[in-house]
Amino acid sequence: MAAESQSPSSVKKVVVHLRATGDAPILKQAKFKIPGTDKFAKVIDFLRRQLHRETLFVYVNSAFSPNPDELVIDLYNNFGFDGKLVVNYACSMAWG
Amino acid sequence: MGAKEEAQGTLSSTDFGVAASAFILNWNTICSSFPPWTWVLSRHQVEGYLSLENILLSSTQEEYGELSCPGPGKHPHQEDPIDVDDATLVRTNPCNVHYYDLHIIYCNSYRVPVLYFRAYDSAVGKARYLNEEHPYLNRPWYKLHPCGTSEWMKLLFHADDALAKTGVAIELYLVAWLSVVGHVVGLRIPFEMMKQL
Repeated sequence: MAAESQSPSSVKKVVVHLRATGDAPILKQAKFKIPGTDKFAKVIDFLRRQLHRETLFVYVNSAFSPNPDELVIDLYNNFGFDGKLVVNYACSMAWG
Repeated sequence: MGAKEEAQGTLSSTDFGVAASAFILNWNTICSSFPPWTWVLSRHQVEGYLSLENILLSSTQEEYGELSCPGPGKHPHQEDPIDVDDATLVRTNPCNVHYYDLHIIYCNSYRVPVLYFRAYDSAVGKARYLNEEHPYLNRPWYKLHPCGTSEWMKLLFHADDALAKTGVAIELYLVAWLSVVGHVVGLRIPFEMMKQL
C-alpha cells in the first residue's frame, strides 16, 4: 500500500535486457523497464508467460542465477552495467 | 586440464577439491556472519565433501517451477482438481523456516557436484525430506539429481571463455553452481560472493 501511494517517479525503474541463449526464442522486445522494487521472480514469471515455458533457466551476466526473492534494484546496483541489468534465459533447464 | 572440463560444464574430482577449498576460503572470509562451510573427510580420508549444517532458511522453493523436474508429475495440485479446496490443501506458509543441513558431494558418474540436504521443522525437529542414501553417511538424505547440471553450468561459463582458459574458473565453479541449486533450499548467496564471477 505504501508503494502505491508514492508518486510513480519516486520508484526507480531498472532497464532489464533479456537475452536468449541457445535454442531459446528471442523476444521481439528485449529491453524492459521495471520497478526496482520488484522481485527477480517477476522477471522469471514474465519470461515464463512470454515463452509459454514452465522450465526456464534464468541467470544474470551469464554468470549466476539470483535468488527469486532478490530485488531488481539490488541486482542492478551490484551487477548492472551500461545502465541496464542483463538477464539471460535458456529453455533447456532440467532437473532429474 | 580444468579449462577443457569447464567447457563441458563438468569438473574432475581433483578440481572439485580445488574448487571446494577456494569456496570455503571465500565464503568464510566474505560471509563471516554466516555459519562456515567445512570440508569433511570421508572414512577413507581420501575423499571429502562440503558441509554446512544447522542453517536456518526459509523455504519458498515450491513456487519456482524452473527448479523442479519437468514431466507429468510436476503440478500435482493442477492434476487433481477435487483437492483444490483451501480447507484441505496443506499450504506452504511463506514464513516457514527450517533448519537445513547441506552437503555438497562430488558425483563421479556425472562429474559435477551434487547437493544433498535434509530439513528440520523448526517446531517439530523432525526431518522433512528423505530420499536417497547419503554416500558417506549411509542414511537417507534428499538429493538433487545431477543430470542437467553440466548443461546449465556450461551456460554459466560459456560467455567468458577467456576466464575458463586461465583456470580461475575452477575456484569459482561452486559459487556459480550454488547460486542455482541454492534456490531449492532458499539459500541466498551474498552478492559479494557473486561479484567474483
